[in-house]
Amino acid sequence: MAEEGAATVGASEKVIHTYPLIRHSDMSEEMRIEAMELSVTACEKYSQNNELAARMVKESMDKKFGPAFHVVVGESYGFEITYECTTICYMYFGGNQAICIWKCS
Amino acid sequence: MSSDTSSDNEDDKDTASKSRGNLAEDETLDWLKPRALLVPEDQEDVPEAELDEEIGRFLTTINPQWVADEVAYHYGQAKFVVKPKPTFGKAYPLYIYQGTAIRKDSDEAKAQIAAGYGKVGFDDAGPKRAKAKKSTTELEEEEEPEADAPPTEENKAEEDVPDEEKANEVGGEDHEATQADTAADEETEAVADEGAEEQVPEDEGGGGESQVEEVIEIKPRVKKLANQFNFCERAALTYNFPKRSVDTQTVPPPRANFGATCLQSIIFDFYQEDYARKQREKEEEKPKRLRKKTAKHVKSAQQIHDEQLAQRIREAWTILERLVNQNIFDEIAQDYRYWDDPSDEFREGMGSLLPLWKFQFEPMRSHAVCDVQWNPHYQDLFAVAYGSLDFTQQQKEGCLCLYSIKNPAFPEYSIITESPIICLDVYKETPYLICIGRYDGNVCVYNAQLTLESSYQYKSDSVRDKHSNIVWEIKWGARMIDGEASFFSISGDGRVVQWAVMPGELQATTIITLQSNVPPIPGPDGTLLTVNSCGSCICFHPEKADIFMVGTEDGMIHTCSLKYNRNYVRSVQGHHMPVYRIHYNNYNNSIYASCSGDWRVKIWEDGRDEPLFMFELGSPVGDVKWAPYSSTVFAACTADGKVYVYDLNVNKYRPICVQAVVSKKTKKLTRVDFNPRLPVIVCGDTKGTCHVVKLSPNLRVMCKPPKKAQVADQRTLQIMKLDKLLSLVRDPPFQTGVVDEKFDDD
Repeated sequence: MAEEGAATVGASEKVIHTYPLIRHSDMSEEMRIEAMELSVTACEKYSQNNELAARMVKESMDKKFGPAFHVVVGESYGFEITYECTTICYMYFGGNQAICIWKCS
Repeated sequence: MSSDTSSDNEDDKDTASKSRGNLAEDETLDWLKPRALLVPEDQEDVPEAELDEEIGRFLTTINPQWVADEVAYHYGQAKFVVKPKPTFGKAYPLYIYQGTAIRKDSDEAKAQIAAGYGKVGFDDAGPKRAKAKKSTTELEEEEEPEADAPPTEENKAEEDVPDEEKANEVGGEDHEATQADTAADEETEAVADEGAEEQVPEDEGGGGESQVEEVIEIKPRVKKLANQFNFCERAALTYNFPKRSVDTQTVPPPRANFGATCLQSIIFDFYQEDYARKQREKEEEKPKRLRKKTAKHVKSAQQIHDEQLAQRIREAWTILERLVNQNIFDEIAQDYRYWDDPSDEFREGMGSLLPLWKFQFEPMRSHAVCDVQWNPHYQDLFAVAYGSLDFTQQQKEGCLCLYSIKNPAFPEYSIITESPIICLDVYKETPYLICIGRYDGNVCVYNAQLTLESSYQYKSDSVRDKHSNIVWEIKWGARMIDGEASFFSISGDGRVVQWAVMPGELQATTIITLQSNVPPIPGPDGTLLTVNSCGSCICFHPEKADIFMVGTEDGMIHTCSLKYNRNYVRSVQGHHMPVYRIHYNNYNNSIYASCSGDWRVKIWEDGRDEPLFMFELGSPVGDVKWAPYSSTVFAACTADGKVYVYDLNVNKYRPICVQAVVSKKTKKLTRVDFNPRLPVIVCGDTKGTCHVVKLSPNLRVMCKPPKKAQVADQRTLQIMKLDKLLSLVRDPPFQTGVVDEKFDDD
């Protein structure tokens, strides 16, 4: 603990957080974890291609929770969406990517 | 009669059929039995040989029945004639019937059609009548295609039936006469039919005989002709239910809107925020216990203010109370401070006790003082445990009180417990912590620093690990390896339990289970119940923290060690009645005193099976304590209300002071304790009163240093004094020092 604390004090400015971080979600616990893991896997697999990552997440979510999921992966965008309740998950990953998953059919 | 017989016959048939049915059923069952034929009685008797004889039959073309020369009477010739032989060859007509049908294309039929059959009488039938009767006639008859008229014909025929029949009869007879040759056989059949049809020619009136014949033959044929258009269609229309459609619409799944903007800066900020939050949580996790505690005690500002105010008022009242008490008890205070019994100077070796204050707590008047102990830190303070020693009428509740001799009127601290308190011990390191043992087997720790309203600070789990009998004595022990305070309790269930004071709970460890010499008792179901001996007191070695002594209710004194949980280090049959107290000498660790319900106080040395000294006090001895200021002085209190003070250095056989503190009729003394610094002792009785008495100067004689060693301090001198005394007693080693009081008297 002490070492960790010292490290963070020394390099607090340079610390880059890459862990997945839920910004907004009303999913159930199970679904949220699933979505989070999927996003992490997809973004790590297609780190250079957001489109492919989004497609992978969308298709997997469609398979698992029924169709008509929409996924946006990107570094800088704005959105205003209508979603079915308990199906939205807006999260950050890798320190610079924002992933928005929602369902609307 | 006939009907009766017939019915009887029927009955017979029924019964027969029934019996047959039964038989059949029986047969199905009795198929294995050999079949016995029922033979009528009047059956002709035929020999077996005849029955077996074969009889041949031959078929021939000759009729054996025919009589060759059969004759019949011929009325015409009025003579018998031979009947001619039939010429049919092989066939033999049984019945000959002349049909009336003729082929359509035969000459005869053509002749009839050409003759205008069917049109005859057509015009005569009224069209109106035909219409009226149409439906009935149509249903009944099938007619030739061209015959529009026949219905009328028929109608007419039916209507005229009665008349025609008469006419037929007449006409028929006429016809028969004419037709006798040709159609003798047909006549009878045709008569009925003919009637209807014949009327046509008769009505016409112009028909000759030949015409009549034709009509007769044709008539049935007209009836048989079919009309393919002559049918009726019937239909029914049922009620049609009106159609109705019902539909529902489900509520669409709820939707919501969400919008956000993601930018690198926003992402970064949020990560920073989250990280900071996590760090904070981590820090907060560490002192979780502390946080919980503080949370529990969080009070509103108003409450705090009220409490502070109450505390200040209480302090003010305490001062006021002290002032009043000081005035009331001024004389006693003066006595305590300055009065020494002047008679001591004249009676060498004898002392007296000066009664000073009496302490009583009003709610506890009927309770007994079960334990009393001076506070090791505050010399004016002592703790009292109120319980009950009358086990037939046990009190429901107990009380823990702290009294100060500065305020004899009311305890400084008092807390009512739900079960009588039997023993207590004040922790030397933190003198506000008091552990108590209760009648119900629980042990608790009270913190006298907390406000009066607060309850115990620690309590044993009543379900899991409390004692199953009265906790007889409780003693604080040394700190454990990991720094927790611990105390030991001994109970009537034969267990010595160490209680570690963990944060928030007491952790129990059974140190030793006291085994008794009683063999296992067989239980009701054959199991053997081992009997533990009941512990009654416990005493720790002043220096060796893991050595302790245990007194039991059967009088044994066991020396035990924390390291062995099965065996005793030593066992001595010390007494014959429950041992009430074992107390180590304050100056010599191998000397200890014990007292018991067998009226005796014994002074023991470690390693000896026999006591060094034995004193009989004539009454159950409730308590014995070594004086803190002298190595040879000890005090004991008895059930007859007396306090005995011995100084072995002065008198090895007799007490130097015997004083009745309470009336022996109503009260018994239970416990006694020396004040560690002041020359007073406190003793408790069975009526809830604590008596503080002052020791007269003769009872607290200090050692005078010998001339050789002026510098030696009092402690060394005391040890030397005891050693000197012991050497006298020990030598010769076989306990000649054990002297009974009575012998001394002699």
